[in-house]
Amino acid sequence: MIQIIPPLCTGCRICEIICSLTHESSIAPKQSRIRIQSNWPEEEQIHLCLACEPKSCVDACPEGALSWNGYLRIDQEKCTGCLLCKDACPYGGIQTENSKKFPFFCDTCQGEFQCVKWCPTKAVVKVE
Amino acid sequence: MKSEFDGYAGRILEVDLTEGKTKRISLEWDVASKYIGGKGFAARVLYDHLPQGCDPFDPENLLVFAAGPLTGTLVPGSGRCIVSTKSPATGLWLDANCGGSFGPEMKMAGLDALIIKGKASSPVMILVDDEEVHLRDASDLWRKDTFSTHQWIKNKFGEEFRVACIGEAGEKRVRFASIISEARAFGRGGAGAVMGSKNLKAIAIRGHRPITIAHPEYFMKVCREAFNELAIHPDSGGGRQKYGTNTILSCMNEAGVHPVRNFQKGVFQGHSALNEEEIREFYVRNKACYGCPIYCSKISEVKSGKYKGAFVEGPEYENVWSFGAHCENADIPSIIQAEYLCDLYGLDAISTGNVIGFLMECMEKEVLEESDIGFPLRFGDDEGIIRSIHLIGRREGPGLLWGEGVKRIAKEVGKGSESFAIHVKGLEMPAYDPRGSTGIALAYATSDRGACHLRSWPIGAELLSAEERIDPFSIEFKAEFVKSQQDLFTIINSSVTCLFTIFSLSLRHIVQFLHSATGIESFSSSEEVLPSGERINNLVRLFNLREGLTKGDDTLPKRFLSEPLKDGPTRGRVVDLETMLKEYYFVRGWDEEGVPKPETLKKLGLP
Repeated sequence: MIQIIPPLCTGCRICEIICSLTHESSIAPKQSRIRIQSNWPEEEQIHLCLACEPKSCVDACPEGALSWNGYLRIDQEKCTGCLLCKDACPYGGIQTENSKKFPFFCDTCQGEFQCVKWCPTKAVVKVE
Repeated sequence: MKSEFDGYAGRILEVDLTEGKTKRISLEWDVASKYIGGKGFAARVLYDHLPQGCDPFDPENLLVFAAGPLTGTLVPGSGRCIVSTKSPATGLWLDANCGGSFGPEMKMAGLDALIIKGKASSPVMILVDDEEVHLRDASDLWRKDTFSTHQWIKNKFGEEFRVACIGEAGEKRVRFASIISEARAFGRGGAGAVMGSKNLKAIAIRGHRPITIAHPEYFMKVCREAFNELAIHPDSGGGRQKYGTNTILSCMNEAGVHPVRNFQKGVFQGHSALNEEEIREFYVRNKACYGCPIYCSKISEVKSGKYKGAFVEGPEYENVWSFGAHCENADIPSIIQAEYLCDLYGLDAISTGNVIGFLMECMEKEVLEESDIGFPLRFGDDEGIIRSIHLIGRREGPGLLWGEGVKRIAKEVGKGSESFAIHVKGLEMPAYDPRGSTGIALAYATSDRGACHLRSWPIGAELLSAEERIDPFSIEFKAEFVKSQQDLFTIINSSVTCLFTIFSLSLRHIVQFLHSATGIESFSSSEEVLPSGERINNLVRLFNLREGLTKGDDTLPKRFLSEPLKDGPTRGRVVDLETMLKEYYFVRGWDEEGVPKPETLKKLGLP
């Protein structure tokens, strides 16, 4: 799973770029599953699914649309877009975007963790 | 709606502030393939549409913000954007370049460029929110500093908006006013004053459109290779990450090219107190522009003493010099405070420090007296530097004249001060003494925007490169070097990506980025891309000639042609500019008056 070290983040947003390139085949940081909140002069904050133990997002879903199997999965048949999952996540790990019908989140890039591979300062790292 | 372009957004926004109207137009294929974007695009716009002889403060002057096909992508250093206009400092071409996130956000709002003309009847701001464009009243923002302006806009419209704005200096038309985006600047040449003359306080942009890539897998592969190159290079993966741009400070001082006392000396006695290690003590964290693995930006903070609270993204090498050695001041907190104030007022810190150092020499030579200035402004006077910045930023008292820049101050003051007014074409000089680098001497003299170290930077090859060192004192092959580097840098400033990556990468990488991102066939080889740099530089030359530039303007201040330094490794030397300039015109395919020959223009498909 992923661990974040926000003091190392420089705000370059390469993680957002590579995440969107991997999933969307285009550069769309606002469709990224990892987000850097960068509001000068404040320090950067990193938001993504950290595969936390409580899985409060799964519990929060009234439709049972979310499940966990290695990473968070969504059943699009069941999701109504209420976004209670987003509110329940303490890490800002669940993303939404106007052009998308359903919330989206880290899927580990099939275990490749592209953000980890590309982060120049190792502010996002993989831990066993 | 998918753009017919990859890499590019495909559209341009035109704003007429006089009429209060906005219009979107399509990017033309021909312009994209021949001029790339950024600087090249702006060159075409200014050459084709700016009325000849237009005063820089006339509403007809154009202000062009332009991104390029690489802006906002995964290409390292792609967080950049240029602004172009007719400069109030030089009366000639200007392009100034800014990092951060403004350029990428413009692309994501579906715009390759923003062309602004006219003048609003009262202060306004431009708000671009994806497809919506609004001109909004900005009376409440007028006189606000750049930081407060950012806060006000983000509080009112949303944190995600990226802002470019002017401070009081731009509003009051200081001829070297900058445009500030977060803590970074479109610094040189006074684009902020042009923005102020249009009553335009700020531009705020937010966009959600993806930037499409022609060949995503190939693009990711070449970007990955470039990231790896940058990580192992001693500059981009070492010194620049540790010290930021100050990484070269000691080298420059040891080479005798770090100018002291308004270019009167070549070695700084205060170096033991003001060097990269001492400056590093003030760094609190690293910062990167969008998409950059180098993170050469450092956040510095003064935590105690009389400048407590000063907080900047920097201080950069140039400003450490302009308020440091140039004014013979070794007090780091005062330098951080000076840069902080320049950011708040929206002043170019290179020119601001130059003006203050020039005034100090005026005092030293008794050209000016204390009664002219209002306080005893002597070399080494850190408090005098700070007081002067406030006067310039507010254009108060003598600051009214000082905001005109050294060329115009010297003309007004007279008494021989023209001989030590250090500028080329009206733009003040950066932190390298031309007497210790024949390359930078020629680069300054021939730069399209006046004394500038970012059209060509031979310093790297002459004084820093471990592999391909060339003799800093010889004039051999400098014309060829400067010409080819100017063409390369123009390609980078048209793409638009950061010059700081090119010392670890090469044209081959840029070509791979351009081709994989856009799929445009004319970007498929170096042989096809390189002429674009030459084409753009020749078009800018034609623009400058039309605006009255002559061979006599391609020169250096007398100090460098006839006054040898008395100290340091460069002592006894002056610049033999004439010989190099003649060669430079020859390799450029220009006649003896510096005018492109018909066959040169024909070869490049100009005008």
